[in-house]
Amino acid sequence: MSTKQNKIAEVIEASTAQFTAQCYELYEVPSLGALVRTGDIYGIVAHAETTGMEPGRKPIARGKDAATEEAVYKDSPQLKKLLRSEFTAAVVGYRKEGKIHQYLPPQPAKIHAFVYLCPPEEVDEFSKSFTFLNILINSAFSVPAEEVIASSLRQMSHVREDSRSFLVSAGKELANLLASNIARVRNILEKLKID
Amino acid sequence: MSLDLTAVATQVIRMISGLKEKRAEQSQHLDYALATINNPPIDLDDLKSKIKAAKTTWLVAEITEALSKTYPLPLSPPDFSVIAADGSHIDVDRHQSTHCYLINIGTVVLNYGSQPDAALASIPHLYADDKDLVITHPTNGREQAVEGTVLGVKRSVEECKSLVSLAAALPPQNPALALLDGTLILWGLEAYPDFVTDALLVNGMLKCLDALKKFNKERRLALASYISYPRSTDVLNVLRVAVCPNDIPDCDKQCPPAHGKDCAGLDGVRDRDIFMDLLKDGERSALFISPSKVVKDYYGDHKVYFYYLRVEDEIARVEIPQWTAEDKDLLDLTHSLIYDQCQRGQGYPVALSESHEQAVVTGADRENFREFIESTLADENLPNATSGKSLSKKTRWV
Repeated sequence: MSTKQNKIAEVIEASTAQFTAQCYELYEVPSLGALVRTGDIYGIVAHAETTGMEPGRKPIARGKDAATEEAVYKDSPQLKKLLRSEFTAAVVGYRKEGKIHQYLPPQPAKIHAFVYLCPPEEVDEFSKSFTFLNILINSAFSVPAEEVIASSLRQMSHVREDSRSFLVSAGKELANLLASNIARVRNILEKLKID
Repeated sequence: MSLDLTAVATQVIRMISGLKEKRAEQSQHLDYALATINNPPIDLDDLKSKIKAAKTTWLVAEITEALSKTYPLPLSPPDFSVIAADGSHIDVDRHQSTHCYLINIGTVVLNYGSQPDAALASIPHLYADDKDLVITHPTNGREQAVEGTVLGVKRSVEECKSLVSLAAALPPQNPALALLDGTLILWGLEAYPDFVTDALLVNGMLKCLDALKKFNKERRLALASYISYPRSTDVLNVLRVAVCPNDIPDCDKQCPPAHGKDCAGLDGVRDRDIFMDLLKDGERSALFISPSKVVKDYYGDHKVYFYYLRVEDEIARVEIPQWTAEDKDLLDLTHSLIYDQCQRGQGYPVALSESHEQAVVTGADRENFREFIESTLADENLPNATSGKSLSKKTRWV
């Protein structure tokens, strides 16, 4: 299922509920809400950032005299080695004995484990259940959970044969899960309008 | 007890007011230096002979051309590479039972032009074998411990070795500049016996310089070292000789300490002050040759030349070996690429600042290194004897 082509990052921090991975290529970060896998664990990208490689070294503005943004990187080729892109994924399930379970795994991911971007067929298989939505609703991210949920559902809908009915089902599931908070449901549904 | 800043403050104020008073005098001395270098024109051959015959208590640069000659910034090639290496080390801790030292070398390869690329690396090496901890005389068995100044020199040699490895891997089509931080001259060796010089300079540094020179058969590779804000007075000392009224200057005889001296009007001026006035941004000075004894005795065709380069509001000293100095293409390559590196690096060569960043060993790193040794000793149930002094610094009490 996993191929060499979609190996995108490596775990550098891991806990039961989430893992952070450093991308192998600068700026080649999976989209917000994308389904990723490390080992048997599945995660949904909930936050990403590009920063200086070392905490004490802050990037400075360099392009005042440069004609294009590309020229800034061309004139200072070391930049690509001094910056890094990383993302944090919320753990939403794991695979055991061939079957996907949409609840937290018994063990967190391992540091230096490879992270793969799930191909469409794996996203299709994962999105057959909406149990994972409950984990996302109850998680605290540095971006609003509604953004992560809507973005993940939109992306999943792209691999489904009937995107519209998938999103309608997801909406119903959210309405059930958030019965006491209609404003939150509406907030997510607003963002589910087909791209 | 921490430093009593209140007590220091009055001393600082006194120091600053002293500096203020000296400024006017130094300005006069600089004017005298500039007047000497510019007008009337110095006869070079006369001056060369006078320098050769002089017995001075300070080092005088060898001159190769008119002192006030300046060169405009040459064009950089469209595609080129810059390689650099810098190191840092953890010295032997004589208060610990484990005798070892660590050298961490940071290396940088920067390719510019049509295929820009970079490779940064940090390579630590732990030295704990007997052969690494001492340099032994090949016949009489006399030993010199590798620590302190000698370790600093060994580090310079390791930096140069890394530069050779980087140069070997460069694509042959691009002209390249190999850069080191500081001086090419291993000054520290002058206080040590010859077998130490043989080990570190003759069989170390100079072998690396030989290798770098040889790479020029396959590609254009210039070597330079860069000294930021230099304190040297080699060229100023040429002016001291020039203004000396004696035909053959002999400082000790003619101007013993109690007497006044004619060159006192140049006191306090540094080469960088002179060239700050002579050079415009991007220009370099004439070439000079280092008068160092160690260079004369050992460097051969790596004899160290130097020039001053103006980079915006700073004067830097660039040292190059003879084979780079005498090849106009290579000399121009050092001039154009070092200036270009400074432009890209906020006033300091970017390859050097990045190799320093790769090499740097912080206080916390040092602490972790020692703790790791201690915990590994404990894991292996080996004794970890340490001195009372070291313990007293770690555990403070009242």
